[in-house]
Amino acid sequence: MPQQRSRRPLSAGLGAGLLALTLAACGGGSLGGEEEDGGSAGGEGGGTVQVGLVVPQAGVYTPLGTDMRNGWDLWLEQNGGEMAGYTVETVTADEGEGPDTGVPAVQRLLTEGQVDAMVGIVNSATALGVAEQVTEAQIPLIVANAGAGPITGEASSPYVWRTSFTNAQVAAAMGEHLAAEGIGPVYVMAPDYAAGQEVVAGFTQAFEEGGGTIAGQALTPFGTTQDFQPFLSGIQSSGAAATFAFYAGGEAVSFVQQYADFGLKDSIPLYGSGFLTEGSVLDAQGPAAVGVRTSLHYSTELDNEDNAAFVQAYQDAYGTLPTVYSVQAYDAANVLARALEEAGGTGGDAITQALDGLGTIDDSPRGPWSFNGQTPEQSIYLREVADENGTLVNSVVSDLGVFPQP
Amino acid sequence: MAGWFDANLVSILNGFAIGALLFILAVGLSIVFGMMDVLNLAHGAFFLVGSYLAASFVAGGSWTGFLTALGLAAVIGLLAGGVLSGLTEPLARRPILDQALLTLGISLIVAEVLSIVYGNDVRSVPPPPGLDGSTDVAGNAYPTYRLLLIGLGLLLALVVWLVVERTSVGALVRASVADREMVSAMGIDNRKVKVAVLGIGSLLATVAGVLAAPVYGARPGLDETILLLALVVVVIGGLGSIRGALIGALVIGQVESLGRALLPDLASFILFGTLALVLIVRPRGLFAGKVAHA
Repeated sequence: MPQQRSRRPLSAGLGAGLLALTLAACGGGSLGGEEEDGGSAGGEGGGTVQVGLVVPQAGVYTPLGTDMRNGWDLWLEQNGGEMAGYTVETVTADEGEGPDTGVPAVQRLLTEGQVDAMVGIVNSATALGVAEQVTEAQIPLIVANAGAGPITGEASSPYVWRTSFTNAQVAAAMGEHLAAEGIGPVYVMAPDYAAGQEVVAGFTQAFEEGGGTIAGQALTPFGTTQDFQPFLSGIQSSGAAATFAFYAGGEAVSFVQQYADFGLKDSIPLYGSGFLTEGSVLDAQGPAAVGVRTSLHYSTELDNEDNAAFVQAYQDAYGTLPTVYSVQAYDAANVLARALEEAGGTGGDAITQALDGLGTIDDSPRGPWSFNGQTPEQSIYLREVADENGTLVNSVVSDLGVFPQP
Repeated sequence: MAGWFDANLVSILNGFAIGALLFILAVGLSIVFGMMDVLNLAHGAFFLVGSYLAASFVAGGSWTGFLTALGLAAVIGLLAGGVLSGLTEPLARRPILDQALLTLGISLIVAEVLSIVYGNDVRSVPPPPGLDGSTDVAGNAYPTYRLLLIGLGLLLALVVWLVVERTSVGALVRASVADREMVSAMGIDNRKVKVAVLGIGSLLATVAGVLAAPVYGARPGLDETILLLALVVVVIGGLGSIRGALIGALVIGQVESLGRALLPDLASFILFGTLALVLIVRPRGLFAGKVAHA
């Protein structure tokens, strides 16, 4: 058993490496500028476009990086490695865990590589940290995960776009929903760092505007909280009718398990931002997660044709279910291709202008969405963790409506 | 008072569970540092090895798997301690910082190897059958496995105390903490003692890793978090003192549990606040042994 497990990350890494090599080889081969691919509508054809893919390849966010890499590769594979007739050359850089590794990685791409655009970025601090350099270099950056509001809010740049979500957007949808349901007082919990605070603020505002009351809130020390019991006691004594929580990664696993272990799951239902039960953490949470309800802009269980085809293709290629992270990178490839199609060149300004005029993206696995203020205006779904023949999935309960960045 | 006690009973109980776990972890670190002057920063990485062993063998949640993981962890811990002893030997006459750097390097390598072998996903480990539910404690649900941890921690504390206070091996341990040169002058081979002490110390780390797996799971980065807690326990308790490690672990357990429940707004500060307080009042820890080294 352990050997079998160990093979997965290794082979995934090897596969990604091989693919990168093949892509690079293809890119080199077509540098000559053959015109035969120019048939696709509006494309210049023949040339190459170099895209820097900045995702974590080491550290705690590696699983997210792998999912994003897979989403990106899958799109390219489905489209013959081309965007609007350009052969895509992917240059991968390791984002690492935080800005201390992520910012230099982007810097290196900007100075050494000849990238025409960049895609990726898991960490919000990294996304904010590189905005200035990206703007200076006039290279478009399509953020495929980082959810901090300021990235496309007060710290926005015409060159920084986003295909993922904003923290408050996802939380506000749940706040509105729970207030409309009249669920009673809600206790709010999140880790004490920027994203956690944005989620708490987004949820609280929407929930109170809808007429709900907050029973209490706890911001737990980020990254050092192993044991949530002290805070769970606070929930019990607050008289809350439900809990809304935002955690990701290891904290999400501990939180959901301990919420069940300490007997809260049955008496005080658990709601959350979708990352609480997304991706690999869901498998680790096991039965403790069943019944947890979350809001997010994607679920593998979404009932639309594009999603069915995407999930099937993803499973065939990687032998595992896609995650929201894969979709965000997949969509980043999609919008970049669409923009190149319109841009008539690979210049930064041409691409960003084209991104601005894309309108509705109608073939995304998450359903139709569009850019509003350079970040998605999209449907947020209410999901519930269900056990389907031994596999935990986020089944879709309802569509909570279309939300812009708050 | 009774009402307050009732409301915080689970937090207090939980403080004992965390304290018990921290004791198992920290006592090894404390003995190794106190006796051998080796600041073993690989202690957290050894702990994580135990956690991943548990993740490998307890997949289906069986006693066999759990006990296999425990046994393997014990053997691996002993061996790792022996290897560490050999590696630190050439540095024995060098400043303590050199050894700390060596063990830090080892911990980074071990953590990286674990990440390559197991990937970076978070693993959770179910408690063995029969202990995976919750027990009713005065009307509150409390995870059964954590109750067992409290018992195990106290049992181990008793065993360690008996060995150290009542046996000739224990006398050697106490003598080594007090004055290692004198012990060696009396004809006792220091290197053998070192191998044994490091072996036992590392064994306690890997075993603690297995025991903690159903509570904390196994994930990259856990080694550093846990090492930090263990270091705080050792500093608070005093180096080389079994009693200090026990009291330190129980204090930190309560601070992390009851303290956070009572003062949730100070949650990030309260651990190091306690540490600072102890260092101001008793700079050498609550129960510092008569450590002879300068």
